[in-house]
Amino acid sequence: MVTLAIAKQTLEEMLRRKILLILLIVAVAMIALGPSVGFLSPRESSAVLRSLGLAVILLAGLLITVLTGIQVIPTEIERRTIYTVLSKPVQRYEFVLGKFLGGLFTVFVMVASMGIVFLGVLRYQEGRFAPEMAQGVMMTFFQMTLLGALAIFFSTFATPVVNFFITFGLFIVGNLSSVTESLLQNKNIATRLVASAVHYAIPNFGNFNIQNKLIHPQVVIKNMNMFIMQNITYSLIYSAVLLILAIIVFDRREV
Amino acid sequence: MAAAVSIQGLTKTYLDVWTKTEIRAVDNLSLDVDEGEVFGFLGRNGAGKTTTIKMLLGLIFPTAGTATVLGKPIGDIEVKSQVSYLPEEAYFYEGMTGWDMLDFYARLFRVGEPERSRRIQKALEDVFLDPQAWRRPVRGYSKGMRQRIGIAQALINDPKLLFLDEPTSGLDPIAHAELREIIVNVGRQGKTVFLSSHQLPDVELTCSRVAIIHRGKLLTTGRTDDLTSGDKVEITFEGGDAGLIDKVKSVAGACEKKNGASRIPAVEPKDVNGLVDLLRGAKCTVRSVVPHRRTLEEVFVETVLKETGK
Repeated sequence: MVTLAIAKQTLEEMLRRKILLILLIVAVAMIALGPSVGFLSPRESSAVLRSLGLAVILLAGLLITVLTGIQVIPTEIERRTIYTVLSKPVQRYEFVLGKFLGGLFTVFVMVASMGIVFLGVLRYQEGRFAPEMAQGVMMTFFQMTLLGALAIFFSTFATPVVNFFITFGLFIVGNLSSVTESLLQNKNIATRLVASAVHYAIPNFGNFNIQNKLIHPQVVIKNMNMFIMQNITYSLIYSAVLLILAIIVFDRREV
Repeated sequence: MAAAVSIQGLTKTYLDVWTKTEIRAVDNLSLDVDEGEVFGFLGRNGAGKTTTIKMLLGLIFPTAGTATVLGKPIGDIEVKSQVSYLPEEAYFYEGMTGWDMLDFYARLFRVGEPERSRRIQKALEDVFLDPQAWRRPVRGYSKGMRQRIGIAQALINDPKLLFLDEPTSGLDPIAHAELREIIVNVGRQGKTVFLSSHQLPDVELTCSRVAIIHRGKLLTTGRTDDLTSGDKVEITFEGGDAGLIDKVKSVAGACEKKNGASRIPAVEPKDVNGLVDLLRGAKCTVRSVVPHRRTLEEVFVETVLKETGK
């Protein structure tokens, strides 16, 4: 009950943030205007529309997740609202989980809103519902779940500005998993060590990028459902580990 | 009487990262607050009052020493359900209405409906918040309304013990008096109030006992009446010429004339009879002979200056 109360309060607080609403409006407008850029490549207008839609959802989702994740806990400390919360019978783990869930609900509402508009535009443009695109939106959400957990973890000890760069940096590096994977075969032992540290320690955000497989039918995944389930499980387990670490750090933090 | 708060040797130090020196915010503090009393916790800015309260609430951790709150170690989650806190310069969730904010805090105490709504209404009524403001966002509240909603959130769990950190600072005189009345009412309900304040007249009116700290150290503690009572006597009289006033001053040290009456503020008990005889002999009318009481402000200033050696 306490965790959900904090999550609900966080969601309401985040939905009042103008910057997030502006991001959502701009993203929705870009998705809605997607069909008008089909002229750039008439033969592949559908692929352009799909690619653009998923890219916009990913980019907006990324900004919304990072801005939410880096702020939810530090803002409470900065505004001193945390005093009236933690002086009540609230365990610190309940606070961290509540803040994470509140941020996650915010991202869900935003990504789902963009996803619904995206699927609606596709339905209008192509005359059919595109369930595979819904999978793409869903994968973006689970990618953001993991990113949000990462931002929450760093927010328990880093300032929002530092956290912004760390989280963004790790997201970019985590998207280069194919590069770090190839470096694991490098002859130089130092390169191999660094590559393996980066490859295994940093969340593999690249795994969630299934846009190419969805947009270009020639890319084949043997078992799409299994692939999606694996990635969702990976996101949930990695997020759980990050949240446990966040709770351990926050439990020792003075506010 | 059982202690609502018991502190033994509580110490909090911080390391100044620039100068590499240790700063003692609270230094070996020991004191007890009895159940049901309104206790004043006094000190200058930076004396360590808020740090002490934050340690008692488990928001920060002591470097040394121990404390119990309602008989349990600090940070005990069960105890927190019977404790409340109004921070100094409390900030709230600005977009929430007063009612929604109290609803949120009541949920943190795991209070279900319909009890939750009943408590919210009672808390808002207890702090005399205008009902028209109940459903308005907090961002539109005045300073006085914010303090009222702050106290309302501190009353939402019907606490046994309240920590109030500068609850009346920055308020206009009317809001100030009303808020002081609210605190007095809370004390009358048998709740323990741990009141940190700079408003010494308020403390004198509301607190049965006080402690004065300076640079984290406890300077004195005791009943407000005991601290403000003196062994000297105050005499007021009418009449007398300049020569008489000079004679009085030579015995009592001071004599103030105001609105036709003269006041000798602090007469040693051994000099009282002699002075009264002197006044009567000079055909003066002696209006009163009463024990001299110091204000808490005088006690506070004297105690702190004595410590600083000024």
